[in-house]
Amino acid sequence: MSIPNRLRVVGEKVAAVDGHAKVTGAATFTFDRSLPGMLHIKLLRSPHHHARIRAIDTSAAERMPGVRAVATARDLAGLTPIYGVRIKDQPVLAIEKVRYRGDVVAAVAATDEAAAFAALGRIAVDYEVLPAVMTIDDAMAPGAPLLFDKPSINALRPHGTGGEGIAEPGPNLLYQFNHDVGDIDAAWAQCAHVFEDTFEFSRMTPFQMEPFVALARPEGDAIELWTCSQDPFLIRQDVANIFGLSDHQVRVHASFVGGGYGGKSFCKLEPLVVLMARMTGRPVRLCLTFDENILLLSQHAARLTLKTGVAADGRFVCRDSRLYLDGGAYSDASALVTDKTGYRLPGPYRWTAVRTRAFSVRTTTVPAGSFRGFGGTQANYACESQIDMIARRMGQDPLEVRLKNLLKVGDPYLQADAPMDSDFAAGLRSAATRVGYERSRPPRRGVGLAIGFKDGGGEARAARAAVKITVTGRVVVQGGTAEIGQGASTALCQVAAEMLNVPFEWVKYGEIDTDVTPYDQGTHASSGMTVTGTAVARACEDVRGQILAFAAEKLSCDPGELHLENWTVRHGNTVHKLQPLAIEYFGGYGCEFVGRGFFKVNEDLSTPLNAKRLFWMPAWTGIEVEVDEETGQYEVLNFVCGTDAGRIINAAAARGQVEGGALQGLGQAMFERLIYGPDGLITTSPLTYRLPLAADLPKHFEGFLEEHGMGPGPFGSKGIGESSILGVAAALANAIEDAIGVRITDLPITPEKILTALDAKRRAA
Amino acid sequence: MTETCAIALTINGREHRLSVAPSLTLADLLRDQLGLTGTKVSCDQSVCGACTVLIDGRPVAACTEFAFQADGRSITTIEGLAKTPAELHPIQAAFIEASAFQCGFCTSGMILLLKSLLDRNPDPDEATLREWVSCNICRCTGYEVILDAARLAAKAQRTAAAS
Repeated sequence: MSIPNRLRVVGEKVAAVDGHAKVTGAATFTFDRSLPGMLHIKLLRSPHHHARIRAIDTSAAERMPGVRAVATARDLAGLTPIYGVRIKDQPVLAIEKVRYRGDVVAAVAATDEAAAFAALGRIAVDYEVLPAVMTIDDAMAPGAPLLFDKPSINALRPHGTGGEGIAEPGPNLLYQFNHDVGDIDAAWAQCAHVFEDTFEFSRMTPFQMEPFVALARPEGDAIELWTCSQDPFLIRQDVANIFGLSDHQVRVHASFVGGGYGGKSFCKLEPLVVLMARMTGRPVRLCLTFDENILLLSQHAARLTLKTGVAADGRFVCRDSRLYLDGGAYSDASALVTDKTGYRLPGPYRWTAVRTRAFSVRTTTVPAGSFRGFGGTQANYACESQIDMIARRMGQDPLEVRLKNLLKVGDPYLQADAPMDSDFAAGLRSAATRVGYERSRPPRRGVGLAIGFKDGGGEARAARAAVKITVTGRVVVQGGTAEIGQGASTALCQVAAEMLNVPFEWVKYGEIDTDVTPYDQGTHASSGMTVTGTAVARACEDVRGQILAFAAEKLSCDPGELHLENWTVRHGNTVHKLQPLAIEYFGGYGCEFVGRGFFKVNEDLSTPLNAKRLFWMPAWTGIEVEVDEETGQYEVLNFVCGTDAGRIINAAAARGQVEGGALQGLGQAMFERLIYGPDGLITTSPLTYRLPLAADLPKHFEGFLEEHGMGPGPFGSKGIGESSILGVAAALANAIEDAIGVRITDLPITPEKILTALDAKRRAA
Repeated sequence: MTETCAIALTINGREHRLSVAPSLTLADLLRDQLGLTGTKVSCDQSVCGACTVLIDGRPVAACTEFAFQADGRSITTIEGLAKTPAELHPIQAAFIEASAFQCGFCTSGMILLLKSLLDRNPDPDEATLREWVSCNICRCTGYEVILDAARLAAKAQRTAAAS
C-alpha cells in the first residue's frame, strides 16, 4: 500500500461521523424501526430447566383477539430448522425438548404486544420434567441426564498441525479442542518446579443497552429483514439455509447497533421472526424485554486447571492444561470459543512444550457464545494469575518473571504461528510505571500486573469493500462492518479521506444492506480496522487509479504525472478541478467512480487453527488496591490499562474502547456475574444484575495507548476492541495477594471470599 | 373499548392535547404515537436511565411513567434540546467534543440527566457529578468520557452565562 508521507486525517481529532445523530436522538437503531401494518411477536418460554414436551395446545391462544398466528415446532416442518456455529444444534423453536429455563417453546404474532402477551397465557404445554444439569460437574457426572439424544449437525472446519477439534466427544460434551506443541513428557524432566492450580471463571450477560430486536417483511417467497445483528451477511446465509431460499431472496439491513459485546453476533432469533412473517404474510417485529435478553446468550463460565513446569532460574518450560467451558444449552459459538480459549492459554511466553485439552460442556443453562475477549478473558485470567503465584512461590518478582519469559517482537507464537507484532515487554513496563509498581506501600496495600493476550482478525476471514466517489468528490465508503459503538464508521472514513486526499467531512459510511453492501463475514474478532479496513484501503487505491487514469486521458498525460488532492489533479504547476472534467466526461450528468477492495487471510494448515493469526492484541494492566482485613472490603486506588493500537487512527475512539473494556473487566473481577442458585438463575432482571456504574470508577483510572507500528491494517493499525478486558481479573487477584497474602482463584473477588481466605490463612498459621 | 384519558401537556415547547389509554407509558406515547424515537427504552424497569426525559426539568424514567401522569406538565426530550440542527445544546456539543458516546443507546438519557443537573447546579463537584451519572447505565464507555463531557459542558455554560 502506498502511504502518504504526511497524514492529514489519520490520527487527527475529527468529529465522529455518527456524533451529531447520536447526541440529537436522530440515530436510527433497529429498535426504532417500524413497518406499516406490522404485527408484534411475544415468546412463550420454558418454565423448566429440562423437560420433554408431550403436547402443545395453541387453539385457545389462536382464538384470542388480535392474534394472527401461533408458531410451535409443528410449523418447522419442511424447513432445516437447526442453527449454530460449526456445530448446529439449536432449533428455531423447541423441538420435542426444552433444554433451559427460557428456551422458546412457542411464539405469538398479534396486532399489538399486549394482545400477543395475553395469548401466551392461553397456550397449554404438557411437559415431562427431566433432571436439570446446572453445572459442569452435573454434566460430567457418571450417568448424568443427556441434553441431546442424537448427534448434532457437524460443520467443523479442519484444524492444522498441532491442533485438533472433535465434535461431541462424550456425554454432554459439545466439543473438544486439543493443542500439542513439543514433547511434554520429556519436558517435565527439565523442570525444577511443577505447579498445578485451578481457577473458576464466572459468567456475565452482555447487557447491551439495545435488547435483541428484529423485523421482517415477506414478499412472496422473498424476505426483507432488519436486525440489530452485527453480522448481516451471516444472518442472510442462515435464513436462506433454514427456509430453503436462495441468497438473493433474503435481504438484510443493519442499522446502528445499540451495543453488543458479543451478544449480537451470529444467528439468534432472526429465523423465528422470518417464520412468523411467512406464516402471517405480514410484517412482524420481535423486541425482547430486558429479562428475556438475559436468557439469550451469556459469556462462558469456566474451570481451568494449569500444570506448569518451571526451570530453577524461573524460565518457563511446559504447561499441561485442562479446561472446561460451560457452553449452556446450545452450541451457538462455543466450539470456536473453546478453540480460542485453549489456544491462548499459554500466553505470549516462550514454552518448550504445551498440551492443552479444552472442552465445552452442555448444561441446562443460558446458551453461551461470543463475549468480548472470546475465551481470551478466561485464558488470561488463569494464565496471569498462575504466573504471579509461581513467581511468589519461587520468591521472585512477578514482573521480572514475566519479562524473562516474554516472546520478543518477531518471535513466532508457539513455534508455528505468526510472530509477535507488539513489544509486550515495553507495554508491561509502561503499565508498571504508570501504576507505581516499584513504589513502597503501607501494609494492606498491594499492586498487581497482568498481561492480556489474544489474537485478532478471526479465522481466515474475508471482506470486500467499495468506495464510491461522485463527480463532486464526495465519498461513500461501503463496508460490512457494523457500527456497534466501536467507531468503525469514523475510522474507516478517516482511512478513505486520507487515501483519497479529500477533507474528512466529504466522506460518509454507507448503511449496510446485503443487497448493496459488498460482502463481509461480520463484525468480529476486533477485525474492523484490519480486515474491512484493508479492503477499504484497497478500494481507495482502486478508485484513485480509475480517477487518475480518467484525468490523464482528459489531460493527455501519464497518470503517474498527476497528483490527486481535494478533488483536483495537479499536473506540474497546473491544478485542474476534477468536477468539470468529470461532468464533461459523463455528458453533462453526474456519475460515480467506484473502487473495489478485497482482503482475505489465507488458510494455512501448518498452524493449529488453520490460518496464521492476523495480529496479536495485547493488554497491559496494573491495579493497586487497599484491603480492609476486618471486613474484606477493598478499594481499587489505581487502575491502568493499555494496549498497542499499532497506529492510532482515532485516538478518542481508541481510548473509549480501552476504558470501556477495562471497566467491563473490573466489574467482572469485583462483582458482576450471572448468579445461579440451586433452583436456577437468580439475577434474572436488571434490578438484580449488578454492573458497573460511574460510582464504581477507581480513584485513578487511566487507559493508555501505544503505537508499535506493526499492525496489518491501514497505516500499521491493529484492532483493539477486545484487548482491555482480558487481563483485569488476574491483575486484581494479583494485587490482592500482594496486599494481604491470600489468593482468590474464583471470580468475582468478593469481600466474603477474602475474609474466608484470611480465616484459612490464620488457622494455618 | 378501553377508556381513555384526555391530557394536555407541553412537549419540547409545543402544546399537545391527547387522548391516551390509562396503561400507556410516557415512553410509548413519545416513541410510538409522536415519533420521538430519540428517547430509548432499554431495561423498561427504571433501572438503566436510557429513557430519561425531563418533566418540569426533573429527570424521569419515561418507561415507567404513565402518559396521564404527565398531564399539565412540560416534557423535554432529546429532540427538544438543540435550537436548530446546527446549533446544538452545550451538553450535546460537549458529548461530541469529548467523544462521550459509543453505541449511543444511552446517550439521549445521559444528556438529559446532565441537563437537569447543570440547570440546578452549574458547577457540580466531582462527588455530585459521579452520583448523578451513576443514575444511568452506559455499558460502552467506562464513564470517564461522559464525566469529561459534563465538565466541559458545565464550563462552557458558565462561560456563556458570565459573558
